[in-house]
Amino acid sequence: MILTAGAIAAAVAAHEIAIDPFDPGRLSTNAYDWRLGETLRTCDGDLDAAAPTPFTETRIPTGGLVLEPSVLYLGVTLERTGSERYAQMLNGDRTTGALGIWVHVSAPLGHAGHAIRWTLEIRAARPVRIYPGMTFGKLVFLQTFGAPASYQQHGLKYTATDGIDISRLYEEIPGGAT
Amino acid sequence: MILTGPEITAAHQDGRLRIDPFEPGQVNPNSYNVRLGPTLLTYTEPVIDAHRPNPTTATRIGPAGYVLRPGELYLGHTLEEVGSDTFVPLLFGRSSVGRLGLFVEITAPIGDIGFHGQWTLMLSPTRPLKVYPGMKIGQIMFFVSVGPVDLYTGKYQAATGPQPSRYWRDQTGTGAVA
Repeated sequence: MILTAGAIAAAVAAHEIAIDPFDPGRLSTNAYDWRLGETLRTCDGDLDAAAPTPFTETRIPTGGLVLEPSVLYLGVTLERTGSERYAQMLNGDRTTGALGIWVHVSAPLGHAGHAIRWTLEIRAARPVRIYPGMTFGKLVFLQTFGAPASYQQHGLKYTATDGIDISRLYEEIPGGAT
Repeated sequence: MILTGPEITAAHQDGRLRIDPFEPGQVNPNSYNVRLGPTLLTYTEPVIDAHRPNPTTATRIGPAGYVLRPGELYLGHTLEEVGSDTFVPLLFGRSSVGRLGLFVEITAPIGDIGFHGQWTLMLSPTRPLKVYPGMKIGQIMFFVSVGPVDLYTGKYQAATGPQPSRYWRDQTGTGAVA
């Protein structure tokens, strides 16, 4: 089951959900409307799952920055969010979607125990200008079923990220970079 | 409600869901990591026709990896057979794979209660990307359902290896050749 705005606000007040910074005005019917952070990494080379991704990092100027199709951008949410109790799903909203922007590449799930500024995997269908701090999508919270397990206890890769993380899949692939 | 990792393990043990082979190390706080199988299919005609069976060619991903090219659609598959007669499965990419710009499914994350088999992956890279057989590529999560269940008996049941679209099978009386 998915939390409504009232349930999200109550869970924030009870410290069961952390959203930082939290703006009650950004609660929508059954989601929190999150914003795009100001840092962007551009990945326009050839990639290898067994090697770290080369990138160049830029700040999105207040006048905006044009995303080009066929380039992969890694961005970050302005907010840090986390919950030990609820799973999270991050997606774009219908406004960003109608601009032809993917905010992630088929990986929306935030596990219970995540406490992160989310790395975004941004791709554009057409050239499109984006701005730092713009509302970029919706974050929903899901009730879980079964005994809880926290991401923090799994020894996983991205437990406390505070910025953009390139993929660390290479750590898992035999013969990959370490 | 979304199943926790311990509940996925418990449900695997008591038969409410089936993952074969099952490896405890692939259980996440709210999902199970699935691996990339060795076979890729690509459509061979320049235009895919939704109303016709489309010829494909198979490629085997060798241990040295295989480079996926942007602009091509690759049908891959999970090594694992996954299904449940109780829970609704959803398949997504992993964040580590999304950060490499690789779409693992295209607009169809939701599975059917009662489907059992290898899942077809719809691989579409943003940048040229080298992938490896057996790499943990996606994650399947399970949701509790509400209401009576009519188990899946559809056209992809018991799939082994990647399955091209069989939309053409559903064409009745619309002038399509089947």
